[in-house]
Amino acid sequence: MKPSPAARARFDWRDLIAEALAGLFARPGRALLTVLGAVLGIASLVATLGVAHTAGNQIISSFNELSATSVVVTTDRGFFGDNAPQVALPWDSESRLSRLNGVAAAGSMADVNIGGDLTSSVPLNDPLGQTEFQVPMVAASPGLYPAVRGHLATGRWFDEGHSERADRVAVLGAGAAQRLNITRVGQQPVVFVGDVDFVVIGILDDVLRHADLLNSVIVPEGTARDLYDLQSPTTVQIDTQVGAAELIASQAAIAVSPNDPALVRVQSPPSPESLQTQVESDVNALFLVLGAVSLLVGAIGIANVTLVSVLERVGEIGLRRALGAGRRHIAYQFLLESTGIGLFGGVIGASAGVLIVVAVSASNDWTPVLDARIPLAAPLLGAVVGLLAGLYPAWRASRLEPVESLRASGA
Amino acid sequence: MELEQVGRVFGEGDAAVHALADATLQVHRGDYLSIMGPSGSGKSTLLNIMALLDRQTSGAYRFDGVDAQSLSEGRRTGLRAHRIGFVFQAFHLLAHRDVTENVIMSMLYNRMPRSSRRSMALEALDRVGLSHRADFLPTKLSGGERQRVAIARAIAPRPTVLLCDEPTGNLDQGTGRSILDLFEELRASGLTVVVVTHDPRVGLQADRIVEVEDGLVELLPQSHRPALSER
Repeated sequence: MKPSPAARARFDWRDLIAEALAGLFARPGRALLTVLGAVLGIASLVATLGVAHTAGNQIISSFNELSATSVVVTTDRGFFGDNAPQVALPWDSESRLSRLNGVAAAGSMADVNIGGDLTSSVPLNDPLGQTEFQVPMVAASPGLYPAVRGHLATGRWFDEGHSERADRVAVLGAGAAQRLNITRVGQQPVVFVGDVDFVVIGILDDVLRHADLLNSVIVPEGTARDLYDLQSPTTVQIDTQVGAAELIASQAAIAVSPNDPALVRVQSPPSPESLQTQVESDVNALFLVLGAVSLLVGAIGIANVTLVSVLERVGEIGLRRALGAGRRHIAYQFLLESTGIGLFGGVIGASAGVLIVVAVSASNDWTPVLDARIPLAAPLLGAVVGLLAGLYPAWRASRLEPVESLRASGA
Repeated sequence: MELEQVGRVFGEGDAAVHALADATLQVHRGDYLSIMGPSGSGKSTLLNIMALLDRQTSGAYRFDGVDAQSLSEGRRTGLRAHRIGFVFQAFHLLAHRDVTENVIMSMLYNRMPRSSRRSMALEALDRVGLSHRADFLPTKLSGGERQRVAIARAIAPRPTVLLCDEPTGNLDQGTGRSILDLFEELRASGLTVVVVTHDPRVGLQADRIVEVEDGLVELLPQSHRPALSER
């Protein structure tokens, strides 16, 4: 086929790719350094997204363990509910709720008004030391202990029998026990609240819910009713099985107050999904900015190096133009070179980012979680960044006049 | 190729340099023409205009009967790709590509089928006698060999016109001689050859000689030839 004289120059895309690759491999060291800029940007983006996702997921799982299984029923009407009719929680709230399917444990509690009485252990006449303290008293049902996930340092928690007999027994929170200087219960130590004596049967050293219990004297509900005229429990703590919290929350009000379910307040955990999203967006917003900045720096690096290489290869550009390459062809070649750098950086960066996520997860004993689309999209992002970075250098290259370029390149 | 009162001015105003003034010249198909003159006389400018690498500032240049001034940049590029082979004074070979790849480069931009490029490149290398250097890097070649690679690159896409800027400028006499023989051979095969040189030995080889002096172009009559050879 004899080409017509007017035929425009043409350039096969395969040739374009081959020429761009050859251009990159002509200076592999420099190309690699340039790639590094893109690698850092993409890696930090991928790592940020991955770590945020992983951490978000991690927060969910620790959240699941405690908060997601907690439902609290109170008679507290809240800030605007002062004038609303109060409803008393029944004494048998614990057994009513325990019957619900999905409740692991339930226990009621109420602050006891002890009229300002001070608490002391053995009456001791010590003019220097303080022996009497203001310690709040809490009346609790037997089920409260598992419901708050308590742990006893020593002794035992009271049972149904103590409450029915209104026994004067008490469990001390760890803080209260320390102040009262009681560390063992083997000798049946006694504390005095005002003039009333209580036998200490246990010391509670940890709870996961209602931490104020640790500074209180905890007595059976029956005892508080008998001695201090306690009217009703004010709070019921429910420990649900995993995943049952929402169901229990909808049933608890009816169970404890069948006549007026609307008058009790039920606090249930927020939906895990919304919490996860919130955590992720918090982490993301901060680090994504960092990632974007480093990607921008990488882009500037690519633009810079491509520009330098255009200036360096003025002779080659002139030659190509003289051999029949159009302005487009020159522009495409340099665009493709910078895009290639970006793409390559994206691939390496995505791999590095995934490794970072895995490493961070491993060091924290987390399960790495990463949206599969992120590492797949990262090379594309790199390519786009490379393409954008190459626009100006490619334009410069395409503007060069063949004669000038051939002359400029000299010998 | 037909030049009619072609002028080329570089720069503007007082700083303007008239590299070429009113050059009128006709080159026919199959001609072997040499352009001679001292350095700085404008002969390279003339060649660049003929090669469609540069545009004249005055006058008219017709390539194959088409006014070059009226051609779009794309068309000029197309003509360069298809019709014109250009041998640069400085060779302009890419140092990191082997000889064959350098030759193939002239066929990248002109619809040459990919499959036949390599064979055409090897054929061109064979014509310049460099088959045995096909996979060498240009940096490993001697000056004469590089020049021949550059010529192979120019003739590989089978242009109708071969334009050479100082083809023997960097070569010793022996290698220069072999290049000239090559031109003779190419001309014999129907190629139009235009050679820019300041070397009388090269110039005398051509059928016609054009002298350029201070931007003025003058066709040297046959009678002046002996005088030239005595220089």
